[in-house]
Amino acid sequence: MERVRTGISELDAMLNGGFMRGDTVMVAGSAGTGKTTLALQYLVNGITKFGDKGIYVTFEQLPDQIYRDATNYGWDLQKLEKEDKFRLICTSPNIFLETEEEHILDEPIKEIQPRRIAIDSLTHLEMFVPKREMRKEAYRLLMYLKTKGLSSLSIWETPQILGQSFSITEVGLSFLLDCIVLLKFVEIESSMKKALLILKMRGSDHDKRLREFKITSDGIRIFAPFENYECILTGTTRKRAEERFAEAIVEGITQEKR
Amino acid sequence: MSEGKEMLGKLLSSEIKGDLLVLFHKNPGIIDTMDGVARRIGRTAKAMEEDVKDLVGLGLLGIKRIGKYEVIFLNSTKDKEIQETVADYLKGLKKEGGV
Repeated sequence: MERVRTGISELDAMLNGGFMRGDTVMVAGSAGTGKTTLALQYLVNGITKFGDKGIYVTFEQLPDQIYRDATNYGWDLQKLEKEDKFRLICTSPNIFLETEEEHILDEPIKEIQPRRIAIDSLTHLEMFVPKREMRKEAYRLLMYLKTKGLSSLSIWETPQILGQSFSITEVGLSFLLDCIVLLKFVEIESSMKKALLILKMRGSDHDKRLREFKITSDGIRIFAPFENYECILTGTTRKRAEERFAEAIVEGITQEKR
Repeated sequence: MSEGKEMLGKLLSSEIKGDLLVLFHKNPGIIDTMDGVARRIGRTAKAMEEDVKDLVGLGLLGIKRIGKYEVIFLNSTKDKEIQETVADYLKGLKKEGGV
């Protein structure tokens, strides 16, 4: 099975080589966790490292902000657009859902023959689609992308910054997705860190550990798993029992010596 | 030369037209309904309807139908032509010492 590499080597290793070609991937996380950066990096690496052209669809953030932010990571999106390797489309979710005759993507797909697409974000569809119809509409949209041979990465904004929150399940979207990557703020010893977890990957094994990641000047970099902690996702992080036990012994020995 | 003057006059005849020009030049990838575009410049669709009509008349903005929606977009080819016409006019003025 062909893999779609993100170009972030640690993430590709976690995914056993990358996402599956043609799969629907969701990156979920609260504001500021790096969802847009990850989506852009996926597209830019696709173009520059693997020859996959790409489309980025934004519903709220204006393209000029995205161009500017991407420049900070050394990604010249406007140059890629001029070279017909990339398109940045800014529209409203109701237009994006319109598939009766012409779809808004028909023209750019014909023009540049993309293989990857990022949607920022599926959460915005909720503004135009009643909750009970969300699953049906999202299914139609994701199937349209699949039919066009696009490997899609959709963003989902979760409301809570810390603690338990995973609203994808509220509208039943998780069943429609082949892969879910969760980005989260976690509090460890009084400092805020960012964590990444592959929550689901249909048809493939993957790294199930929660790993720390940082947004660097080159984009996202993933580091070691949070091995000595537990309950990180629930927002009640604590050191694992073995760690606490070992610390207590060391402390006891130190006190005895005194 | 007079074509450039006339064009410039039309482009800058209202504040909303100015806002729309800036929006579409900075964000050429916008393809949205009248309401969607209006939201992006903090106006209402009703308030900018006439200005959009004028810019469509000039060919700078295009209109097409996507399903049941009418969407507006920047006509990049016409935009380049208009920019060249206006630039020629301004260069001419500069030579004459008018600017």
